[in-house]
Amino acid sequence: MSTQPTGAPAHSAGAPASVELRGITKRYGSIVACDDVSLSVSRGEIHGLLGQNGAGKSTLVKILIGLAQRDAGEILLDGRSVEIPDPLAASTLGIAMVHQHFSLVNELSVWENVTLGEVGRPDAQRTRELVRSIGARYGLDVDPDARVEDLSTGERQRVEIIKCLRRDPSLLILDEPTSVLTLAESRELFTVLRRVAQDEGKTVILISHKLDEILTATDHVTIMRSGRVVAQRVTAETDERELAREMVGRELSKWVAASALGDLDALVDPSLSSDPAMLAPVEPIHEDEFPFRLRITDAYASRDGRPLLQGLSLDLRAGEILGLAGVEGNGQQALGDLLSSLIELDSGTVEMDDVVLPTGKPGAMHRAGIGVIPEDRHQSGCVLDMSVAENLVMSTVGSVARRGFVSRKAIRANAERLIEQFEISTPSPDTPMRQLSGGNQQKVVLARELSLNPKVLVAAYPTRGLDVGAIEYMTERLHDAANSGIAVLLISTELEEILTLSHHIAVIHRGAIVGQMRRVDVDAERLGLMMGGQEA
Amino acid sequence: MIESIALILASSLRLATPLMFAGLGEYMAEKAGMINISIEGMMLAGAFSAILGATVTGSPVLGLVFGILAGVLIAFVHATFSYRLTVNTYVIGLTLNLLVLGLTSFLLDALDLGSAQLSKFEIPLLSDLPIVGQAVFNQRWPAYLLWILIPAVWFVMYRTRWGLDMRAIGENPSAVDATGIDVLKRQRQGLLIAGAFAGLGGAYLSVAEVGLFNQNMTAARGYVVIAAVIFGGWTIKGTIAGCLLFGAADAMRLALPALGFTFNAQLLIASPYILALVAMVVFARRSRAPAAYGQPFVRGLA
Repeated sequence: MSTQPTGAPAHSAGAPASVELRGITKRYGSIVACDDVSLSVSRGEIHGLLGQNGAGKSTLVKILIGLAQRDAGEILLDGRSVEIPDPLAASTLGIAMVHQHFSLVNELSVWENVTLGEVGRPDAQRTRELVRSIGARYGLDVDPDARVEDLSTGERQRVEIIKCLRRDPSLLILDEPTSVLTLAESRELFTVLRRVAQDEGKTVILISHKLDEILTATDHVTIMRSGRVVAQRVTAETDERELAREMVGRELSKWVAASALGDLDALVDPSLSSDPAMLAPVEPIHEDEFPFRLRITDAYASRDGRPLLQGLSLDLRAGEILGLAGVEGNGQQALGDLLSSLIELDSGTVEMDDVVLPTGKPGAMHRAGIGVIPEDRHQSGCVLDMSVAENLVMSTVGSVARRGFVSRKAIRANAERLIEQFEISTPSPDTPMRQLSGGNQQKVVLARELSLNPKVLVAAYPTRGLDVGAIEYMTERLHDAANSGIAVLLISTELEEILTLSHHIAVIHRGAIVGQMRRVDVDAERLGLMMGGQEA
Repeated sequence: MIESIALILASSLRLATPLMFAGLGEYMAEKAGMINISIEGMMLAGAFSAILGATVTGSPVLGLVFGILAGVLIAFVHATFSYRLTVNTYVIGLTLNLLVLGLTSFLLDALDLGSAQLSKFEIPLLSDLPIVGQAVFNQRWPAYLLWILIPAVWFVMYRTRWGLDMRAIGENPSAVDATGIDVLKRQRQGLLIAGAFAGLGGAYLSVAEVGLFNQNMTAARGYVVIAAVIFGGWTIKGTIAGCLLFGAADAMRLALPALGFTFNAQLLIASPYILALVAMVVFARRSRAPAAYGQPFVRGLA
């Protein structure tokens, strides 16, 4: 990304900061989510809040918008100390937030969403004009009468931002705003933010775990690690390397950097593509060497009359990692559901080793040798209130049962074997899953799926929400799995994760594959266009 | 023959009227994501209280008011437990239904309830129309309230801020919460209004249609109303159509023996429920429930 921060306002000594946090501390039980956090942002500045998952960024922001209450510390707006007991108070104080997952009501039209939460009779005409005028002022073009569910994710975000700006806030907070956007859309967003901060004199806080984003879009940056502020920098005077070091606290392997930090090196610097260290894990494999394992042909599926998959075709070879790139919400979930036998196809086929598999029949995909690490490990990956041992046999109860009775001994033996093999850190096999860290929960899911010796492994967002150590572990295991001859389908919205791990890359858009290429042939510009739905 | 059709039509409309009152309230509650299971209890309490009120005060009109208040009272209990204290709404709803059934049955024996009935109002000229005239334009007077209430409910849901809030809550309560609206309060308000409508429906059944209270008078009509809203695809049109359909099925049950057909008595009693269900399934449009339908709202963003 080319735009450099321009005219970064310096912290002026005289005027009070637009927002100042002093010694904010927040505990959840024994866990300290925010530990004595202090930061100060001036008016007209875009301030980056950088940190890994679990660094305490979200908690800090929840405190600012009244969704959580601080245990200690002080919040000052324009030099005045304020209390923010609930979201309404935050909005009265001029604090608005664009949430990571949009807080829009899909069934309603754009203008209805914009007027939601105001008082007085809803005035359709006035609100429509307002949407248009704000749109024109900031370059956020959207049809006020469109239904939100018919809009693309980029357009939805515009609505979300209009909704915030409409209340004329003095502080705008954005939480991981680009995770659902294409590259081009991200650039547009940063232009809008610059306009908001510079022309309108508003204060912007941008939360992100992606380094390039912070470097492109912000004036100052605060870096958080394990609930503490570890560094504060003027963005123009720092670089990726320094930010990464402060954020993680140690050096990282290339793979992990890509997944955890969104390092775009590989994307912007063509010289790196020839770097042998970079390409070591993804040597191009010979097309004929490996047989096709899984083949999805012309798959159509829908739910409640709305299309999920629209003619998706995908071939997966044994021993390769196929990365599925795309903006979130373009059918990735449906594909995962299809391979978990959760949805039925309206037309099209799924074949494993040239045998057609029935779709939507519980257990059919699983029996055919497809293991799935689901997108949401809490919802469909494991049962949080059952023990680690029980979760580990969840999909193979047959192997530890005889004549309808399960053998506790066999369950335990299986658990102990897998816990050792996959380095799962748990007090005992009988510990409830709920008490494990996210990384260890994910290890349990991975261990269970791999213990079945699958032919195909589907990994949907396998590193989402994990800390660096766990990301490292997961990426290595996926790589090992492919090396051992498993066909791996890696679904992710982190383009960098896909680029570093995959042999082949397919791009999904609106429920169909719009392009497929070998990793070595990747051209970032073309990939971005395809993710935006343009044939390239 | 024409006379029989006119009679069946009149009886259909008469039987559907209490359902339509309750259906309008249930429609509003369901739009806000609530499945108002206690509607059966609300209707039954309404029916009982209407006769009780009419007996005590001697005025069937006041009886109608008693009925509405009884529905609101049940709704208040339900709302307090489920949308203030967050007890599971199904548990509370079913408990309330059983409680009201037991209580009204007991009180019916213990008290000496009389009979009371609101008068008919015949609209001149229109009631002389062939076939539909008597059915539509010669009813107990509260039935005409529907002509006002149906558009009023539409207006409230689609033209007021309260209605917008309710519809948004049914789809995405967390988003509504984030904009600073008290979701649970709105849901409590919605439930109280549903209670008033259901109470009115029950009261109409006893004090307008029949003139008496019988044990378990509503006989699962509350559940039929829920079914009407669901199969009606969460639209006012669909809800009203579903209620009319059940009314028609119920009317056929009464009319068939009179027309000379004989059936197994139990099957006959079950027939309107079966017929209505089958028809609703057949006619149900492909429709989408509110996204947060039946899910309790818990504060805080994920």
